[in-house]
Amino acid sequence: MKSTQYSEKTLDHFRNPRNVGVLEGDDVAVGRVGNPVCGDLMEMYVRVKDDRIDDIKFQTFGCGSAIATSSMITELVMGKTLDEALEVTRADVADALDGLPPVKMHCSNLAADALHDAIKNWRSGKRLEPLGADEIAAAAKGCSSGATGETTVIQGTEDYAGKGVYASVADVTALADKRVLVLDKGVASARLALELTRVTPRVIFLTELDALALPDELASEIKRSDVKMLFQSRLLAVRGEGEVEKVLVHDLDEDSDYELFVDAVVLLED
Amino acid sequence: MVSSQTDEVYLDYQSARPVDHRVVEAMQPYFTERFGNPASLHGVGDRATEALEDSRAKVAAFLNATPREIIFTSGATESNNLALIGFARRNKRSGNHVVITEMEHISILNIAKYLEQEGFRVTRVPPDQYGRISPERLRARVTDETILVSVGWASNEIGTVQAIPAIAEMLRGTGVALHVDAVAAEGQLPVDMAAVPVDLLSISSNDIYGPQGVGALYVRKGVRLAAVTMGGGQERGLRSGTENLPGVVGMAAAAGIAAGEMSAESVRLAAMRDRLIREVLSNVPDSHLNGHPTERLPNNAHFRFEGIEGESLLLSLRDEGIAVSTGSACSSKTLEPSHTLISCGLLHEEAHGSLELTLGRFSRESDVDRVMQVLPGVVKRLRGLSPLYRAK
Repeated sequence: MKSTQYSEKTLDHFRNPRNVGVLEGDDVAVGRVGNPVCGDLMEMYVRVKDDRIDDIKFQTFGCGSAIATSSMITELVMGKTLDEALEVTRADVADALDGLPPVKMHCSNLAADALHDAIKNWRSGKRLEPLGADEIAAAAKGCSSGATGETTVIQGTEDYAGKGVYASVADVTALADKRVLVLDKGVASARLALELTRVTPRVIFLTELDALALPDELASEIKRSDVKMLFQSRLLAVRGEGEVEKVLVHDLDEDSDYELFVDAVVLLED
Repeated sequence: MVSSQTDEVYLDYQSARPVDHRVVEAMQPYFTERFGNPASLHGVGDRATEALEDSRAKVAAFLNATPREIIFTSGATESNNLALIGFARRNKRSGNHVVITEMEHISILNIAKYLEQEGFRVTRVPPDQYGRISPERLRARVTDETILVSVGWASNEIGTVQAIPAIAEMLRGTGVALHVDAVAAEGQLPVDMAAVPVDLLSISSNDIYGPQGVGALYVRKGVRLAAVTMGGGQERGLRSGTENLPGVVGMAAAAGIAAGEMSAESVRLAAMRDRLIREVLSNVPDSHLNGHPTERLPNNAHFRFEGIEGESLLLSLRDEGIAVSTGSACSSKTLEPSHTLISCGLLHEEAHGSLELTLGRFSRESDVDRVMQVLPGVVKRLRGLSPLYRAK
């Protein structure tokens, strides 16, 4: 079966998703599962009254089944008690959609998990918090705080000094058309990242923080720019054959490592 | 034609191409009255041999090669297997190192993994952010142990065209053989074996509007290979098995048409491609072009859209009768995003939001019109569902 061979019901929920959006208020809890690296991210908002789901809304980044399962579960649990809602499983959601392609049963059928997470948060008294609250907690336990609080050793930076690793950049045109990774060392590094966007379309700003710790004006300039932000990320190693080819990045939120192809790494001296 | 007679807009020529009706006509007699096995020693067999050799001459002419340098196969994947495994095994005594690139088609990547199991060492050269392999960077990876370099002429995915003439020139006289997978480039760019010193070159029939299930390997005179398919010794012993005569005749007809129409057709497609790129980038906010801005196949437009996922995009366009491809993990068998996009330096989340539009012989300006009517709205709708998208 092809991964996109969906039932009519799944396609209907994909085309006309029910209960899309967000809820606000102090009687709302939110659950969040998945991550954009895997290609699926779901947020499920529930408003609870008298131990029942009074309203439910979702937002999903993902493939057809990710969107359809999110939509389906909102219909399945609307008006149910929290205990009843907790009994709804991934299999129930798939059944209600007349089945899912086998390959999608695991990775793109996270809606039940997102709902259960929302109910768990409700029951533990965690009300709607602005996005990023979880990340702050994860980052806090995972890393030293502050843009310049770099304590870990980055493997390979000495081996590649002058071969793609730079401690200073006197002339940005030397990096024209390169994929440049700039490590967050505060204001000077952020300004350099912005300046680099004049000479190359690919500038990545990597920081362990979950938000920009920069003066407002500079922060909003970066947000508007083509600088790609990598929050909650730690540079572990620089790799390549004789010159920089890629870096190993640790995702503090997901606690996982991945490789990223770059041509240059800028680690401004403190 | 398949695509022009229906309302469906087909923009996935890199996945499969319709067979040109002139090719079908050329093939037709070889299923029935002109059937035959070239190995048979009677008149029917002789006529089959004649058709086979005539086809070989036509395919050779398409590549500006000699007929003896053409080995028919079941397609480009088999050609790649014969080229890499056959060359590595036969020339093992000269060295055990093979250089490929991170941009290669999945068949090359998996053959390289297999060669590693056989004891060869494989180096994979990364491209720049536009998908271009620097000839100097490639050269720097060649060692005394290197026997073979394999580079795709163009990326079937993002459309970036490699500097094959420069790479071939650089390797000339080094004793290192060069294999080129030309499937994405054939029929769109000149592939001239008299002008470019390539040693082995894979092509497929369907990519020039011939039937599926047939292809060829160009083997420059003097290049030695070991067979990887054993049997009756057809194709100079390099590819045993009774020849697919209707397929081979179809491939030859397709090659003849491509040779005659390529230059005008490439100009036509490049103009449509440029219009598509221009209009998508200006009408869809936070959209980006993947691949090289100028060194790209005439028929390829490849985009990524922030905050949305490619399979959702593909399904939405399918609902509008538009057939496209994506580099998203969710539409692949492995659930991994496109290795090509990753090797260009994209993050997984960026690779997931990609869209590939490939034009072809039956594409019309009205196809581009239809995409532009639909695409901005589809992207907007999916972004409305997405927790990731924040307009700048």
